[in-house]
Parts: sequence; structure tokens; C-alpha cells
Amino acid sequence: MEALRKKFSLTLPQNSIRIIRIIAALLLLALIIVRAMDVAAKSQFGADTWLRLSVSGLIIGGMYALIAIGYTLVYGILFMINFAHGEVMMIGTFGGYFVFEAFNAIQVSGADGNQLSFLNAYPVIAILLAFLAGMTIAALSGLFLEKFAYRPLRGAPRLVPLISAIGASIFLQNAGQLLFGPQRRQYINPVVLDRGIGWNLEVAGSTVVLTYTGIFSLILSAILMVGLYLLVQRTKLGRAMRAVAQDKKTAALMGINVDQIISRTFVISGALAGAAGVMWGIHNGLFNYYVGFLPGIKAFTAAVLGGIGNIPGAMLGGMFLGIVESVGPAVLGIDFQLKDVLAFTILILVLIFRPSGILGEALTEEKV
Amino acid sequence: MKKSVLFFVFVVFAMVLASCNGAAPAGGEPEVCASDEFGCAKIPAGQTVKIGMGAPMTGDYASFGVDISQGAAIAVKDAGTVEGFAFELVAQDDQGAPEGGAAVANKLATDPTVVAIAGHIFSGATEAAIPVYDKVGIPMMSPSATNPPLTTLGSKVFNRVAFTDAVQGKFAADYLYSKLGFRKIAVLHDGGAYGQGLADVVRAEFTALGGEVVGYEAITPGETDYTATLSALAASAPEAVYFGGYVAEGVVLTNNMKQSGLENAVFFGCDGTFGAEFVAKTGANGEGAYAASLIPPESAAKLKFDADYLAAYGVGSGTLSPYTWSGYDSAAVLMAKVKEVAVLGSDGALYVPRGALVAAVRGTSGFTSITGDITCDAVGECNTAGPTFYIVKDGDWAQAEQ
Repeated sequence: MEALRKKFSLTLPQNSIRIIRIIAALLLLALIIVRAMDVAAKSQFGADTWLRLSVSGLIIGGMYALIAIGYTLVYGILFMINFAHGEVMMIGTFGGYFVFEAFNAIQVSGADGNQLSFLNAYPVIAILLAFLAGMTIAALSGLFLEKFAYRPLRGAPRLVPLISAIGASIFLQNAGQLLFGPQRRQYINPVVLDRGIGWNLEVAGSTVVLTYTGIFSLILSAILMVGLYLLVQRTKLGRAMRAVAQDKKTAALMGINVDQIISRTFVISGALAGAAGVMWGIHNGLFNYYVGFLPGIKAFTAAVLGGIGNIPGAMLGGMFLGIVESVGPAVLGIDFQLKDVLAFTILILVLIFRPSGILGEALTEEKV
Repeated sequence: MKKSVLFFVFVVFAMVLASCNGAAPAGGEPEVCASDEFGCAKIPAGQTVKIGMGAPMTGDYASFGVDISQGAAIAVKDAGTVEGFAFELVAQDDQGAPEGGAAVANKLATDPTVVAIAGHIFSGATEAAIPVYDKVGIPMMSPSATNPPLTTLGSKVFNRVAFTDAVQGKFAADYLYSKLGFRKIAVLHDGGAYGQGLADVVRAEFTALGGEVVGYEAITPGETDYTATLSALAASAPEAVYFGGYVAEGVVLTNNMKQSGLENAVFFGCDGTFGAEFVAKTGANGEGAYAASLIPPESAAKLKFDADYLAAYGVGSGTLSPYTWSGYDSAAVLMAKVKEVAVLGSDGALYVPRGALVAAVRGTSGFTSITGDITCDAVGECNTAGPTFYIVKDGDWAQAEQ
């Protein structure tokens, strides 16, 4: 019987599967390179276009990365996908918006005696407070999300908190619509961070604008990512988080308050999403209650790309996704409308050829 | 509710009247009625000649119905009398829905003094109403039903002063090529039926005129950053970017153009991107952007209408919907045609030969009103003036050079 089953079994030996995979991957890679070279030979785009596309990709990638870290942190510790994370970002966007609105309404006399808004008189303070407000309110919503939507389901099967997360996402979106209305609002930036203007670079006979808002966002997201990395690797809290991620029971035996660490993880991931939300508002301007949905999905993709549960992986995945979305269609010479198709195709390819993501799941010990 | 009861009473009354007349065989009926395909509408002395309208007067879209009927009501006031008979507008609530459209059509068709219909307003309701009017020979002139297939149904009675998306696209391509002198444009759309429909027409027409469409792309609606798409378009250096879609994406595109290497290209939108929101959210980036609108160019007729509207209703024209001027025009055309064909009978009643009126409305030519020249073609497309183009100047929409 056993021999019969073996004879008619459709499963190939382990070795040949790996070989087929490698061949398929190489073929795909070759195809992409040939196509890219073919497109490049036609040289439709100059250096200026490539630079513009890369910069736009990096900026959006930085924001994806910040949000992706939230998915990865929560997954690393609870092994669940917090699908309401995009909505936490939306809440952060509103937080920063209202601070800017308030400061714009306050009139003060400037250095030369002119009346101007507080926003333009003290832009640094305004920006700091906007980020503080956005990050705080997003962190708080992360905290409450965990408390009300996930903690009661801690012992339940893994599918249950996932459904709760989707429910929380819909709830927060609708709450946002009811509270703030369905109309699109626009960030009022301080003049120093005016949208659309920046340093002008002369490349290949045309002007490439490195927008102030974009560069600001990119630098700030880099700083926040380095900060988070240090927090996780160098502090007591970070060590406790890693311990909980590795083994909750043993961590508890070692005197770590697991519930508290989980709450703090949600606070940290919420704060990062809030910062991304304020950046999103400052850089893109327009937003409404729905602003978190698309970035949330994209950041989730980025987290899986980099290897979910792996913090540097989420950063890399976010940047990679941003670049692929903006440069990818141009490299392959396809319509820009297909950028999402491209991003998700890459996700599927990564899942087929390297299921644990580009950098692998660093926090894997037991995942079930 | 009260209105419809009144109306019902009136209909019964009218039917009784009509049957009474029928009993005494057509006294002073002019000869033309006997030969007319649909016979005559007989308006007894002392009654009014009624122009019907099916419009959403309640519900979400009430502002459209109310606004258009108010525009038409002013036309009725302006029209004066025909052989001593006054006109009257009968606007019935069809909720903008097909069921409502058919119900209102049946109601109006049974009223012998309703001679023409300035409507309906929404395409769905209009489509349901057309067969009813077709049967009894009541001509229609819709101010706002833009769905293109409506004029391909083979109806003799349906006409419209509304311009379709296809007409708008044709005019936009012509404006870009002839008026602005552009030879290289890029065309973008949001992938929706409305946006892509417009974009396809513009691309085809602009190419037919001899211009070159150097880029044709769809964007994903709802996003807040289109710099990648625009940067790729910038590589082929278009002189203008035409966009078919709505204001939300139009704003983002306009704001992104400068940082994508398209700082010298002109943003050219459609009637979907026209409005106060565009100006408010693009600020300085929006200066010089174009859009199309139904709102007709300034003229003596428009100024007079605007003043009358404000005096009669206490709000400015155009604040409720952009269709009120079209509402005026469709009623005005119909009444002018009624005046042409109506005959005073020897019994003192007014006779309107229905078949002749249907033909007269379809044969409208060179009728000049607020929205411009109204000339119907063989299938009932009567708007030859097309949309009016607007440009953002000093932070507000101003009429562009026509």
C-alpha cells in the first residue's frame, strides 16, 4: 500500500522542487532584465525622469516603512495582523491637521511688527506640536484598540482577533466619517514647508524639484526608524519586547509583565503610524477619513515583503515597495496604472520563492 | 401630497370636460387636426397651455429638480401668451428614478392640455418616460439628460439641450487644438465611465485634428500622489494635460504637476473638475488651469435671467445646480414652437396639432437663447454651442476666451 501510494504520489522529491523553483526564478529574472534593457534601449526617459521617479518612490516608501513597522511589531509579539493600523494613521493625520488649523488661526506680531499667524511665526514649534499631537492621539488609539478589540480575545484562535481587527478598522473609518465629515480637507502648512516647492536641481537640461516636504518626510522617517531600532535593541523595554516575542510564558516567568509590554508595543506602533499620518498630510495635503486605507494595505504588503515580524525587513520592504511602485512601471515600460499590479505580483513572487520574506522572520521561534 | 390630489382632481375634471366636448362633435376644430398624426391638443377658453416637467422635486437630488423647474418657470413668465392663452409649467416629482419617470409621464400624457415636456431631468427617468410620450406625440426637450444612448433609441419626440460627454470631449479637443494652439498633449482619466469616455473622445478628436497625443494613462482614483505618473508623462513634454475625471483627483494632479517636470504644461479639466473646490485646494498651482462647464457665457440674456432668478427666488442662479439656464432654454424653445403651430379654433379654444409640434421641435434651427444657439439634428441633439470653457484667474474661475 505504501509503495503504491509512493508510486502514484504527485509530490516530487524535495530536491527537484528546489531546482524547479530556482530555474523559474532565474527565468523570471532574465525576462525582467531583457524587458528592462529593451525599454532602456528605446531611452524614453532621461536622467531627470529617473531621478524624479526615485525621489517620489523614496518619499512614499519612507511613509510605508513607518506604517509597516507597526504591523511587524504587533505581528512579532501577538502573531496577528492589526488591520486597523491604517486607521490609526488616519487618526494621526487628523491630529496634526487640527494643530496646524489652530495655530493658523492665532495671530501674533512677528519680528518686524507684521501680524502673522502663529504657524508662520514659530514654524518649528508648530511642526513639533503637530507631530506630538498626531503621534500621541494615534498612540492612544492604538492603546485603546488593543484594550478593547484584541485583549479580550487573547486566548481565542488566531482567526478571531483578525476578524476583530477588520471590524475595528471599519468602525474607526465610519467614526472618522461621522466625526469629521466625508469631505476632503487640506493641510495648511507653514510657509517654510510649502508643498510643491523645494531645491531645484538641473539634471539633463530640466529642473528636478526636491520638495521640502518630501525631503523633510524622508529624513524624519529615517530618524524615527533608527530611533525605533535603538529602542528595540538597546533598551530594557526593547529587551522585554523581544523576550515576549520569543516566548510569552517564559518571559512572564522571568518577571516581565506581558500585558504591559503588549500595550506598549501598540503605543509605539501607533505613534509611528501617527507620525506617518502627519507626514502624509504635510506632503500630500489632501486627506479624509479614508486616508489610512490604501497606505495600510500597502504597508502590510511591505511588511510581508520584508519578512513579517522583522523590523529591518519592514523598513526595507517599505522602501522597496515605494521604489517599485514609482520606478517599476517605467523600467518595464508599462502603464502607471499597473503599479499596484506590479507591487502585488512581486509580493506573490516573494511569497512563492521566499515565503519568509526578503530578510526572513527574525523573531521566529514558534509561530503557532 | 396636496399638490398631487389637486392634480388628480384637475385631471378628472379635464377628462370630464374632454368627454363632454367629444359628445358634441368637434365644433370649431381647425382642419389641420384631422390630418395630424396625433390629433390636436384642445385648450378650452380660459385655461392655460401646459408645459410638463418630470423632475426630482424631493429627496437627495431635489436641488436639481427645484432649480431647473425654477429656471423653466421664468421662461414661462417671459414667454407671454399665444392667441391670448397663457402658459403654465406643471412640474411633477419623478424622484429622478425610472419608476417615477414612467408614472409622471403617464400622468402628464393623460392631461389633454399638456402639449410639451421640458424634461425629464435624470437620464434614467427620461428613458422610462420616452415611450409614453412617443405614443401620444408629446415632444420633449430635456435640459439635463446627458446619457448618450438616449438619442439613439429612435424616438421622434425626445430632444435635449444638454450636451453629452461626447460633445464635450469634441469641443475640448477643438479648443485645445484650435484656440490654444497646442499640438502635443497628454490625456489622463480616472478609469470611470465618465472620465474615460471623455478622455477617449478627446484623444480621438485631437488626433483627427492633426495633433499628437504623447501620453495616455489611467490613474487610480482616490490616491493623493500622482507624481510618478506625471513624471513619466513629462518625459514626452506635453504642452497640456487633459484630464477626464472629478475634482478630487484633478486637484492632486494640478498640485503635483510642478514637482513632476510639468511646470510649463497647462492643466485642462472637464465639467467634473469645475467648481469652487478646485480653486480652494489648488491655490497658486491652479492658476491658468482650464475646465468646462454648463454655465453659459455672460450675455445680456443671461444677465437678465440671473436678475429675474434672484428677484423671484432670493438666491443666485447656479447655486442649486448648474442646469437652471438649460431649464429656461428647454422651456423657451418648446413654447416658441407651440406659438408657431397653435391655431385658434372658431369655438374660441386653442388647438395645438401634436404631430406638427413634434416635427417643429425636432426641426428647431437657429434658436438663440441663454445657452447659445439651439439647432436640433436628426436625432434630437440640440446643443450646438457646447460647453463653456473657464480658466482660473487670480484665484477664481473666469470665462476663458471662446
